[in-house]
Order: sequence, then C-alpha cells, then structure tokens
Amino acid sequence: MPIVSASVPARTRLDFWFDAVILVGYTVAYSYGFTGVVIHEWLGIALGIALLLHLTLHWDWVVRTTIRLLRPRGPDKLIWLVNLALLFFMTLCVLSGILISRVALPELGIRLPVEGPFWDPLHTLTAEVTLGLVPVHVALRWRWIAGVARRLVARRPLSRRPQ
Amino acid sequence: MRFLRQLAAAAAVVTAVVLIGLAWGHVAPGSLGGSGGRQFTVRGRVVKGLPASAQPPPGAKPPPGIELTRGGPSSIPSLQLGDLLQPVNLAVLWKTAWIEAAVIAAVVLVDAGFRKRRRASRPSR
Repeated sequence: MPIVSASVPARTRLDFWFDAVILVGYTVAYSYGFTGVVIHEWLGIALGIALLLHLTLHWDWVVRTTIRLLRPRGPDKLIWLVNLALLFFMTLCVLSGILISRVALPELGIRLPVEGPFWDPLHTLTAEVTLGLVPVHVALRWRWIAGVARRLVARRPLSRRPQ
Repeated sequence: MRFLRQLAAAAAVVTAVVLIGLAWGHVAPGSLGGSGGRQFTVRGRVVKGLPASAQPPPGAKPPPGIELTRGGPSSIPSLQLGDLLQPVNLAVLWKTAWIEAAVIAAVVLVDAGFRKRRRASRPSR
C-alpha cells in the first residue's frame, strides 16, 4: 500500500528538505579540515547559490516582516535581526571565499587580481560568525521544524479509492 | 514570473551586501589585521601558507605540527575522497556539528523558557 506524508504541503516539504540540505552543506563546508580545499571551495560556491534561492523562497516573509517591524509589538523582530546579520555575514563569507579561491575559480579560468591582508581574515572572521548565527537561525524556528518533522514522520497509509 | 521577481529582489539585496564588502576592502584594507598568509588545517595539522615571494631564513624549521608551504596552485593540499573518513578528518566535522547542536539546544531551551514564562504571566480568563 503506498505511503504518503500526512498533510504536509509540497511547498512546506520543499522548504524543509532544502533547508536541511543547506544546513548539512554548510556544516560540511565549514569543516575545512574534513573536506580539504577542493570540496570546500566548490561546496561554498554551491552554498552561495543555494542561499540566494533560500532567500528568494522566503522573500514574502522578508517583505511581510520588514513592514511589520514598524509596529511596537511586531512579531519576529529578533528573528529578522538574526536573519539580517546572517545574510550580511554569509554573503561576505561567500564573497571573500570566492575572492581568495585557489582551486575553483582558476579551474573555471577566472583569475581575480585580489591580494592583500583583507579577504583572508574576513573569510575567517565571517565564517566564525556564521557558525554562531546559523544554529541560532535554525533554533529560532524550532517549533516550525519540529512541527513539520512530526508530520513528515507521522506517515499514514494512502486509502484506496473505491472502485 | 513571481519567482523571477523575488529572485531579482533577493539578488539586489545580496549585491548591495557584496558592494558593501568590496567598499570595505577598498577603503580599509588593513582593518582586519591579516598577515597575508593563509592558515588552514589539513589532516589535523596546521598548514601555514607563505606568500610566493617570502623566503624563510636558512635552516629555519616550523614549530612541531606546523607545515610551511609555498603559495601557488602546486602547494594546495588536497584530500582524496577516501581521506574524508579518516578519524582525524571526521573529528573536524563532528566538532562543527557539536558546536551547532550545542547552540541550537541552548537557544531552544531559552526560547521554550521564555514562552513558558510568558504563558504563565498571562492573566487566566
């Protein structure tokens, strides 16, 4: 008998699994000593693209929450601030990573004339800040995550249509 | 169409941050106090990359656990896929996962505590 996830809309499933993949990808990419430079750089570039898509998929939330910020007791203020900080630091992390790339960009035939003592430490600094912000970003949505996970786990058999 | 509009808006925000970063690097390149060399961990060792022009003093040896490499593509330490599962490399991944799990657990506990207190302080109808 076929099994389907109980009452989880397709868009919610997409958000859940896409975000889970981004989290795992980020964890692996941050662990430079685990991946080595080649995987680290390609994964970092992929994460940059994935994060742009993530932001796009949640753009409605960004607009809605930004408008509500003006209200004195508007919801999600803390989440909005954390997300803004994460957007800032993650973008700078990916940018600096691309600019100091030693494998991925040269392999694509791109050589950026970037030298100097700025981008390396910026990459390290922003990576460390994002390691603090990413789990906070995830944890502030723990009720949504737990709710969707519970519904995804609670599978029910698909009843057969009457003939 | 709606997706493309949102993608354009998101890309515009990201571009703005990129421009801020580039401007920061242009205006205050020394503000982060970097040395120019690259430091990274490979197979549990700290590897310090030397700029291509730098010459270590004759006979100089790096401290134990430190490996000096010359800048340039040939010096890039690269792991084979099989190396990823070496315990010393896996430990790096576990460390990252532990940090994330610890922060998530702490935030969830604090958030749950706040919600509980807020519920308790509400006047019962």
